[in-house]
Amino acid sequence: MIDEKKLEILTESAKYDVSCSSSGSKRANTPGGLGNASFGGICHSFTPDGRCISLLKILMSNECIYDCEYCPNRRSADVPRARLTPDEICELTVNFYKRNYIEGLFLSSAVFDSPDKTMELLCETILKLRKLYRFNGYIHLKGIPHADGALMMKAARLADRMSYNIELPSEKSLKLLAPQKSRQSLIMPMMSLKEAMDYDRVNKVRKNKVLPAGQTTQMIIGASPESDGQILKLTEALYRRMNLKRVYYSSYIPVVKSDKLPAAGAGLLREHRLYQADWLIRFYGFDVDEICGEDENLSPDYDPKCAWALKNMQLFPVEINSAPLETLLRVPGIGARGAYKICEARKFASLDFDNLAKMRIVLKRAKHFITCKGKFYGSDSFAQVKTSLMLEGTNERAEQLSMFSERSVSLSALTGEL
Amino acid sequence: MKIFITDGSSDSFFTAFFDAYSEKDCIITSCENVQPRFDSVVVRTESDGEKCERVKRGILKYDERALNDVLMTLRSCDSLKEQAAYDYLKRLFERKAPVGKAYNLPEVIIFNEIKDKVGKEIHKMTGFLRFMESKSGAFYAPYAPDNDITDLLMPHFAERFKAEKFVIHDTKRKIAGVYDGRDWIMCYAGEAEIYLSEYEKAFETLWKKYYRAANIKSRPHEKQMKGYMPVRYWKFLPEKHDGG
Repeated sequence: MIDEKKLEILTESAKYDVSCSSSGSKRANTPGGLGNASFGGICHSFTPDGRCISLLKILMSNECIYDCEYCPNRRSADVPRARLTPDEICELTVNFYKRNYIEGLFLSSAVFDSPDKTMELLCETILKLRKLYRFNGYIHLKGIPHADGALMMKAARLADRMSYNIELPSEKSLKLLAPQKSRQSLIMPMMSLKEAMDYDRVNKVRKNKVLPAGQTTQMIIGASPESDGQILKLTEALYRRMNLKRVYYSSYIPVVKSDKLPAAGAGLLREHRLYQADWLIRFYGFDVDEICGEDENLSPDYDPKCAWALKNMQLFPVEINSAPLETLLRVPGIGARGAYKICEARKFASLDFDNLAKMRIVLKRAKHFITCKGKFYGSDSFAQVKTSLMLEGTNERAEQLSMFSERSVSLSALTGEL
Repeated sequence: MKIFITDGSSDSFFTAFFDAYSEKDCIITSCENVQPRFDSVVVRTESDGEKCERVKRGILKYDERALNDVLMTLRSCDSLKEQAAYDYLKRLFERKAPVGKAYNLPEVIIFNEIKDKVGKEIHKMTGFLRFMESKSGAFYAPYAPDNDITDLLMPHFAERFKAEKFVIHDTKRKIAGVYDGRDWIMCYAGEAEIYLSEYEKAFETLWKKYYRAANIKSRPHEKQMKGYMPVRYWKFLPEKHDGG
């Protein structure tokens, strides 16, 4: 059985990876096999920091040949090191899974010996898990940059999801902070995987499909000087051209003293705003250019949808009973579910303000931008609208900061990819 | 005004619905301790197969999904579930077409809320159920859900743990789902005595260690944790024992 201390070290080193989802795959159980994947994903527990545990997230090893400036596991750091064998990982995964502790495995590793050697052992582990242990639960594998392409493709036919972390939002920053990784070594594998997935889709491949749950990536925010506009442009390209399922952001907080890194952290509000903008791009039909200019940052005072609406007041108010879905989605205070509910409900009767309240639309925000049966309930003064939206924004900010503002945060909070 | 008291089963509810259909104003409940109004008449409903069938056929005629939705709602622990289902079905029969998305009607909103709570608990339990391995190699998961959902959880776990044997035990309702590696059945189950396998404690300890190590201590957010994973479920989660 696996050593407790080792498990602790390799969990500690893996936990800053933001991704936790187990969704997107419909992998079925096999005769005599163990497990299946649930398309919507399942959370199995929640830790006191409010995050969910869905997958057993561990590193195979935290012994690294690289020396990335921001990473606590970099070669020159003085931290306890450990390594697990493929069998130890398989045994732990299967036994946790059978007890319904987890939905599957999220396996990553620091780069030991060489990228090929590391990738080979990761591959061997998930091959064993699938073939020997007949495990059909969810597997998310972290790709190792610079590793052999054939190894990557082999892994991609066994895993449900893979991720190559883009680490930093520009090539220049990557060169400065992670000189041993190149943009090319991160983008090329993502491209090849995308092409392989496209091939499977076009040819309707059913068996041993490449990454049924697609790819994700992660980048560190605030360790380098890029603006929110630049970051979101990159995000948009990753979604629309690379077909990524998710882009994760992790706000930088200094754990490592270095003259190449800023002394202050980026703060969680910025991360929060980026996620809000990310949602607008994926689910609300916004283009980045509408939300944030190339060299601009998102407003800390309002959420990005409010900020956009305030700049486009000439488009409002819209009539709840006749506005098309795409327009409703752009109203502050109306979410995707809310917009859908309004569209359904108004087929039965025309809706008034009271109906919306019962449907849990956030009227505090929405009332300034809508009419119900021609009636307007918001404020006529633009200044007043701004102030009331800003007040809500401040609440959001106050909560964000007070929760994470303790001094100790800076010691071990998010540092992004390890 | 009439008060129809059912025995809590769905057949009893459908029978009561049949009898109550022509009433202008009435209450349907499975709650014994309902406070009768001074002018009310209490009617105890015995299940009647024919009335029951007629109501079900009627529902299916107007909306194929509504029957399942009502059956789901009737599994709720909410004391107003029968009333909510009654008001909802009245609307359905009045309109003679699906009303599930008529969010402008308060009856529909209340009905959907009760139904969705049951659905959400089923989803949560697919994650929060915890099995332990017994000496015989079978797995045992005790829990105490708010709603009566065990038979709805069984298909999920029977598919997932196809080759295993397992028991899911609702200790609150004293019922259990039993899967023998091929088929599953529901049965009565009072107290259970379990002899654990030799490795069980070790894996449980590893899980607790993992849970503690995965937490980011410097970013506490208990409120969010408890929102997603309510304290009443913790009794059956080993990671939340001894101060996890």
